[in-house]
Amino acid sequence: MEKIITQLQETLGTEKVLTAPVDLVAYSFDGTFEQQLPDVVVLSESTADVVAVVEIAAREGVPIVPRGMSSGLAGGSIPMPGSIVLSLTRMNHILEIDEENMTATVEAGVIAVDLEAAAAKRGLFYPPDPSSNKQSTIGGNIACNAGGPRCLKYGVTGDYVMGLKVVLADGRVLETGGKPIKNVVGYDLTSLFIGSEGTLGIITEALLRLLVQPGFVHTSRAEFLSLEDASRTVNAILRAGVVPATLELMDETAIACIEEAMQLGLPLDVEAMLIIETDGSDEAAVEREIETVARVCRENGARKVSVAQDEAERARLWRARRSVSPSLARRAPNKLGEDITVPRSAIPEAIRRIKAIGTRYGLPIVVFGHAGDGNLHPNVLFDRRDPEQWAKVEPIVGEIFQTALDLGGTLSGEHGVGVFKLPYVEHALGATSLDVQRRIKQALDPLNILNPGKVLPDM
Amino acid sequence: MMSNETSVKDVNETTMSADEETRHCVRCGLCLSVCPGYRESLNETDSPRARVALVQAITEGVLDAPNERYAGAFFRCLLCGACTFVCPSGVAVDRILELTRGDLAEQGLLPEALAELDARIAQYRNISAEENEGRLIWVDNLPAPPTGLGKEQAEVAYFVGCVSSFFPRSYQVPQALVQIFDRTGVDYALLGGSEWCCGYPMFINGEMDKARDLIRHNVEAVQAMGVKKIVFSCASCYHFWSHSYPTALGVNDLEDDLGIEVMHATEFLADLLEAGALPLQGDEDVREQVVTYHDPCDLGRKGGVIEAPRRVLAQLPGVRLVEMAENRDSSHCCGGGGNLESFAPEVGQAVAGSRIRQAAETGAKTLISACQQCERTLANAARAERIRVRVKDVAELVLDALDEAQSSEGD
Repeated sequence: MEKIITQLQETLGTEKVLTAPVDLVAYSFDGTFEQQLPDVVVLSESTADVVAVVEIAAREGVPIVPRGMSSGLAGGSIPMPGSIVLSLTRMNHILEIDEENMTATVEAGVIAVDLEAAAAKRGLFYPPDPSSNKQSTIGGNIACNAGGPRCLKYGVTGDYVMGLKVVLADGRVLETGGKPIKNVVGYDLTSLFIGSEGTLGIITEALLRLLVQPGFVHTSRAEFLSLEDASRTVNAILRAGVVPATLELMDETAIACIEEAMQLGLPLDVEAMLIIETDGSDEAAVEREIETVARVCRENGARKVSVAQDEAERARLWRARRSVSPSLARRAPNKLGEDITVPRSAIPEAIRRIKAIGTRYGLPIVVFGHAGDGNLHPNVLFDRRDPEQWAKVEPIVGEIFQTALDLGGTLSGEHGVGVFKLPYVEHALGATSLDVQRRIKQALDPLNILNPGKVLPDM
Repeated sequence: MMSNETSVKDVNETTMSADEETRHCVRCGLCLSVCPGYRESLNETDSPRARVALVQAITEGVLDAPNERYAGAFFRCLLCGACTFVCPSGVAVDRILELTRGDLAEQGLLPEALAELDARIAQYRNISAEENEGRLIWVDNLPAPPTGLGKEQAEVAYFVGCVSSFFPRSYQVPQALVQIFDRTGVDYALLGGSEWCCGYPMFINGEMDKARDLIRHNVEAVQAMGVKKIVFSCASCYHFWSHSYPTALGVNDLEDDLGIEVMHATEFLADLLEAGALPLQGDEDVREQVVTYHDPCDLGRKGGVIEAPRRVLAQLPGVRLVEMAENRDSSHCCGGGGNLESFAPEVGQAVAGSRIRQAAETGAKTLISACQQCERTLANAARAERIRVRVKDVAELVLDALDEAQSSEGD
């Protein structure tokens, strides 16, 4: 490894190459509890830097772990022993916002919320909004095909990617897609890299589609004494002909955790809360929609429905929703946040079964998520230092995944596979799909140096 | 009256260890989005999340005993408190830093530049290695000697702070404030050489023990004057007095237990203005002046004084406030905190550059603040970045308004 470090330092300069134990610790984790020290960290500043690192790694057969802000929840950017962590956060320039074609060209390290703000200044709108949008990069969002509350109406990150610049495993630079909206020449390589978690190539730039700012937004909060009523309401709203921008569900434990951490005055005597937002460019229509939403909520057993009166109130509601996951730490030292999706009609049943699993094992499972698109985040709360609790976690997760598959759903809606879901991938994909995917990996990364051991289980 | 024997409580004794404080961290990384140091270097080692992980790495044996690099990670921090404020898991990163810095100092790992700063303060009773008797040089340029000069008993003591006492570019802050006091008949005293450094730099260097002499001395000095109120124009002195003095002195509250009310100058000025004690012109008589206000971390987010400066600005004729993107308790650090000027000036300079650009984006031609250190740092940044934004203290703006009212009276 010393030889590789020397080569990296000679090619990139010593300032971009970190080897002190303190630095290795800082780059050893992601948004989960896993950690593993890499051997060296490179702070790349350009596509050329990335090419240089890949060329050295390919020559020496050393694994590379690409890393944005490492807020991932599946272990996708956890290094392996003897690896190079390749940080892309310094590649944070918005290269162009093309107002006429409504596109943005950005480097991979741009923070999602910064792009959203830059677009908004020009009246444009970048819709993908993962809950981590202040602490995750566009590159990471694309590599995990991140979703977020607004997916219900606006789709996931991948729906906005029109083209990519990708450094391949042999150091060549591949450019895919372009500004034309329609393009069917050859295979859709852009899509191939979306959700590839750094295993097929390293995304260094992206061309993204923008929309026009919706202009008017209404946000409401509905409180339910029964979790079943809340999940039933989700379908009822959509059946009423309204496509809310977001339709978020939190169960009682989630509400209690946020309230404990942030004291926002949320109700503590309900089983569930929905946060529903309608938006659009026609003020009257947006208002009509939120009124319909409120009516449907009441018809389906909501105890109280309130509409945010101003931007501050709306911001408070969203701050609460975005804090659910981290605030769970108030309840238990560790959490494992899953990310299953089920067909929307199966939400009430999925929640019922997940709660039953928690009861059976005697560990709390908090449920929240993007109920509108059937994406639920059951979070198992536990103390890893307690061997009895730790031993229960894996079987619980297995049962949660089985529940999702039984109900016609799958393992992950937006977090990705990383390392945590590896044991369940074959079951979810089937042998043929897994074989095709392994062949793709082999074709693009024959030396298996790009984030090895992630996404696809070893043969 | 307090005696020299007042027991000094160990500030660490009642709460959790640094390692226990880290347990709630889920590594979500939200703190990176508000950390001024990380936002400049884009190196995770400079982030709050990494510092939390480093504490755990020692406990878990992933790292051996702390070394110089480890210490560097903890001292390269502006202590702006944004991470603690934003943390959705409620991790007290500020407390983790405080405890770890204390341990590091004890283990002899306080960086040399910072150890020198503390030694300088211990010897000279101020941060600048000048004779402490020279604290009032700034009064020489005033039109008339301030009435608080040499007063032995008064209702209010004005604690000037080291920066304004010894750095000529900051003289205008106390100069403005005493002129306002004099024109409104405030019964105040200047402490002169009996004002010692408040002790904050030592505390943040992890050497709280060395700060205790200073703390005791300062409290006795103001008590000897029979003062009921102590007013600060320095946000950091104010923060340290209000947050750490009581614990260090073994009391619950300076006002309840010792009869001393601690006030920042902006609170004092807001009260004066709202009581109508300052003669000002009507809005229609003056031309509009667009300003933006920078919340000092020690005053706003960490001190809870957020509205007082805005109340002052709202009373001043012609002054229109436009807020920066990050304001109030989400304010972005000026870059002048955490003793980094002594230890890692390049970090502070980069942060200051970002903040002054935020100010320029508002279109305001003047940036107002309420802390000499913020003002020095941001004025330097404006020069370095060639940004035409003037930097002034709230007190200077109040004095301008008084001058204008007076000159129009003479017309």
